[in-house]
Amino acid sequence: MTYISERNFNKLLEILKKDYNVYVPVKKGLQRFYKRYEEPSDDILVNEVRPVEPLKIFFTRSRENVAQGFKPESPHALDKPFAIVGVKACDLKGFKIQDFVFSAKGGSDSGGKNHDYPDASYNKNREQNLVIGADCTCAIDTCFCLALGIKPYPKEDYDINLSGLKGGFAVEAGSEKGRALLNRHSGLFEKAKETHEQEKNRQRDVVTKEVQANIEKYSIPHQDLYNGIVERNYEGPIWSDEVKACVECGACTIICPTCHCFLLYDQMDKDQMARMRIWDSCMFKGYAKVAGGANPRPKLFMRLRNRFEKKFDFFPKVANIYACTGCGRCVSACPAKIDIRKVLKRLVSNA
Amino acid sequence: MPNANIYRPIRTEVLEVIPETPTIKTLRLKPEEPLSFKTGQFIELTVPGVGESPFTPSSRPSVKDIIEVTVMRVGKVTEKIHQLKKGDIVGLRGPFGNGYPLEEFKGKEILVVGGGCGFAPLRSLMYSFFEMSGEFKKLFFRGGCKNSQEFLYKEELAQWSKRKDLDIELTVDKGDSEWKGSVGVVTVIIDSAEMNYKTGIAIVCGPPIMMKFATKKLLDMGFKEENTYLSMEKNMSCGLGKCGHCRLGTYYACKDGPVFRYDKIKNFHEIWD
Repeated sequence: MTYISERNFNKLLEILKKDYNVYVPVKKGLQRFYKRYEEPSDDILVNEVRPVEPLKIFFTRSRENVAQGFKPESPHALDKPFAIVGVKACDLKGFKIQDFVFSAKGGSDSGGKNHDYPDASYNKNREQNLVIGADCTCAIDTCFCLALGIKPYPKEDYDINLSGLKGGFAVEAGSEKGRALLNRHSGLFEKAKETHEQEKNRQRDVVTKEVQANIEKYSIPHQDLYNGIVERNYEGPIWSDEVKACVECGACTIICPTCHCFLLYDQMDKDQMARMRIWDSCMFKGYAKVAGGANPRPKLFMRLRNRFEKKFDFFPKVANIYACTGCGRCVSACPAKIDIRKVLKRLVSNA
Repeated sequence: MPNANIYRPIRTEVLEVIPETPTIKTLRLKPEEPLSFKTGQFIELTVPGVGESPFTPSSRPSVKDIIEVTVMRVGKVTEKIHQLKKGDIVGLRGPFGNGYPLEEFKGKEILVVGGGCGFAPLRSLMYSFFEMSGEFKKLFFRGGCKNSQEFLYKEELAQWSKRKDLDIELTVDKGDSEWKGSVGVVTVIIDSAEMNYKTGIAIVCGPPIMMKFATKKLLDMGFKEENTYLSMEKNMSCGLGKCGHCRLGTYYACKDGPVFRYDKIKNFHEIWD
């Protein structure tokens, strides 16, 4: 394990700026947002908890041109890849779903039989972007990652990870790209002391306990109890109860690090077709409607049920993973106060 | 091809537009790059700048350079497709999905049941069967439409009725003075097929309501669930199992279907909706 002082970390950001569009979390009011890094500033906050935006914004843009006319190449407008700094463990779990969908497999249980359709633009971003993870140094009220089998500190899917300590960070490389980065700039890093390791572990324990306290406070069931919960409650009253105040804004899916649905929208750009891949939401009425008029989910409660079916029935069956990271973003974003923690609790207890 | 752009359509010329009914046209299309399909697979047809819609080709897969699609005018994209003329340029992506497992049908008795617009994919299937003539024990076609004007491929249906390798019967929901055949929904003529239902293959394609009742009837008659093949209509958009819209239980209709054996999907919700 190595250590980087805050001063050297600022130097590292300056170095990264040459090759990457660097994004760092900043705090505004009570919340954190990603901001393009230009120069050192006081509002940069690598630690604490996840920003408002999910990590997926750096891998599939909310609105992205994916085909120009009949040209075979993928349009890729970015001049430089992203370096995303301070990514939290909940967001990194999102990669498990996003990779499953976009990288190659296409996502369903027929897997593998002549169905590999990699999304070239996504894969290019995955290959070129630099992901700098960070331990959570606190929890907020909506955090419940432990219920989904995640710890509040990254264990995989990062290039390097930072554990916030007094005056600097403990650093670990998690990929070849990360190791190469540390080697290339070895002058910025020093060997970590035993006290650094101790401080890191102490910090991790403290935050884990904070999340555990949330889970107890809201009685959030652990994922070991999720098997079959949607099917068991399929005809139950829970969906129409919980969806009552929904205004169908789609915030829960847009903000979710695992939600991946999109629509292809064509428009004219000068004289040729520009095909846009735009994030879509299964909560919208027309989502599954066919041109002939049939709509399998005309009612809002059916669409809420479908959202949970996709997360807690489909993905565990086809990819062996629950498509929720316990980040709590959908809880904060919902103007109708639909609370995934409460829904899970009701589903598990058949209430 | 790992770097291929999966969202890009192939430039394609409209060779001919054939009116079928007041709301349905067949387009003959010539893609600039080879695009061969298996019967039952579908393609995405792009009207540049307007949008993309999924269609199962209605032509023979053995004709490699030309693809025909039969299109009902129902929405924004199909409205524009109906305005296309000879020489216009469109785009094609695909083929997508699984298609019919023709090899598994060899040596069997086969009953094909079609309704309305479902005749389009079935035309491709029937031509594939005709090309394999002699490899099946017996072939039946039972088709229904709202009225006699609504039938697709009227001339071809007339030719099919003369074929020795096919037993064909058609019905209309509502009869008229010109119509000489049966009157009633397609389910009423299914059981006129003289075959062993317990070992036979049933293939159904049509509007959801017709699929539902035809499937129920076929199972009542004794067809096995695993011998009953359905073409599921879902909102296929990307064709790649990524965009999410056409999910059917643990499958995506676009890549695991659109043809499904009934036993594989019978426990899913929303199959007839």
